Amino acid sequence: MSNRRMDKAETEAIRDVLAGDRDAYRVLMDRHFCSVTRVAFRITGNEADAEEAAQEAFLRAYNKLPSFRRDSAFSTWIMRITMNTAINLVERRKRDLSYHAPRIADEPSIAEHTVLVADRQAGPEASLLNREAVSLRQAAMAELTPMERTAFTLRHMEDVPMAEIAAALNITSNSAKQAVFRAVSKLRRSLTPIAGGLR
Amino acid sequence: MKHFSEEELIAYQLHESQNESAISKHLESCSECADLSESIAETLRVFSADPVPQPDLEHNWQRLRGNLGVLTPQRSRSFDFLRRSWAWPSVGLAMAALILLTVFGVQIHRTGETKRNIAVNGHGPLTTEPRDPAIANHLDAAERLLTEVNHSSGALDDTTREQAHSLLLQNAVYVRSARESGDLAQAAVLENFGRVLTTLDNEPPTQHSAWRLRLEMNTSGLLLDIRILRQNDDHSQGVSQ
Repeated sequence: MSNRRMDKAETEAIRDVLAGDRDAYRVLMDRHFCSVTRVAFRITGNEADAEEAAQEAFLRAYNKLPSFRRDSAFSTWIMRITMNTAINLVERRKRDLSYHAPRIADEPSIAEHTVLVADRQAGPEASLLNREAVSLRQAAMAELTPMERTAFTLRHMEDVPMAEIAAALNITSNSAKQAVFRAVSKLRRSLTPIAGGLR
Repeated sequence: MKHFSEEELIAYQLHESQNESAISKHLESCSECADLSESIAETLRVFSADPVPQPDLEHNWQRLRGNLGVLTPQRSRSFDFLRRSWAWPSVGLAMAALILLTVFGVQIHRTGETKRNIAVNGHGPLTTEPRDPAIANHLDAAERLLTEVNHSSGALDDTTREQAHSLLLQNAVYVRSARESGDLAQAAVLENFGRVLTTLDNEPPTQHSAWRLRLEMNTSGLLLDIRILRQNDDHSQGVSQ
């Protein structure tokens, strides 16, 4: 995610879309869909929801394109929409107790909506340890609020500057920092019982 | 010796601290803070970035394209005409007309004028107008059911099928009231939803029934339509630039 100005191809694509050529939107999708899905995946934590959030974000951006002010880059704008859309999706999922996206677990179970991620290169022991680590990380991340999860993953995993996170989440820079700090503190405590060295 | 708080050490590890050199110096002499700082660093290492699955661009584009309407740019409004001599009397007349329209507008609204539709998708136009809040619960339930249909791998369970049966009865009422109020967009989406519900209610539960339903009736597209209808109601979800 960057604040760089839009290049000629993107400006032309937006102009063409606004002139009625919806296929021109493909240019913007080709350039940004992967990064948008990547951010959505960090926030939602699973592939199916990440794609849904990305689809929804691109549709919302398309419908709002006539009002898009070109003083910011399209990439920055679509990222803001994506973060909001993904956070809303996570909150809806939490409200909807009947929905369970597939989660990674030690043993796959249809009833529990859990799947096993195969690692073909690892041996049985390494595979078991890897599965346990993934399970623990998922459980710890699930304890975070959508805001904390978003702020933490974007800052730590995607290296997004705090100011951009704050702008996207419509909060102050200090609140964004506090959300990241709370997230790290919670994650550290979640790992304490099993990490031995962690205090 | 003054120790640093956990928050200060987290900021230090994330390179967000204003006090980096002082903390670094302190950690060399204080084992307690150094342990805490290392514990934070270890947590950050554990949660380092995992690989992210790559989306299928072509598939996603095809799915999105069906929901894209044809756009027109917003016209920028110029107020140059106000400089002309005839402008201010015209503005006065326009204001009087506006007041009259406001008075009679309420009456027109009550008689059920057809609502303006903007967004267009594969099944028919979607509205961007506010709607009756009573339908929000129905759309919510519809979204949950379609999400269940889209994510289930085998035959749908009895609870889901019972829910579909119950929604089918309610849906007919909402389709009718949408038509009566002139909201053709909402009526079109709900009619499509009604077809899915009817199929769910009548087909025997086989292992492939949910899969076939998804393919034949494009439940993913319908789910998106219903989400758009819901978003139109949700005033708090506005995205600012």
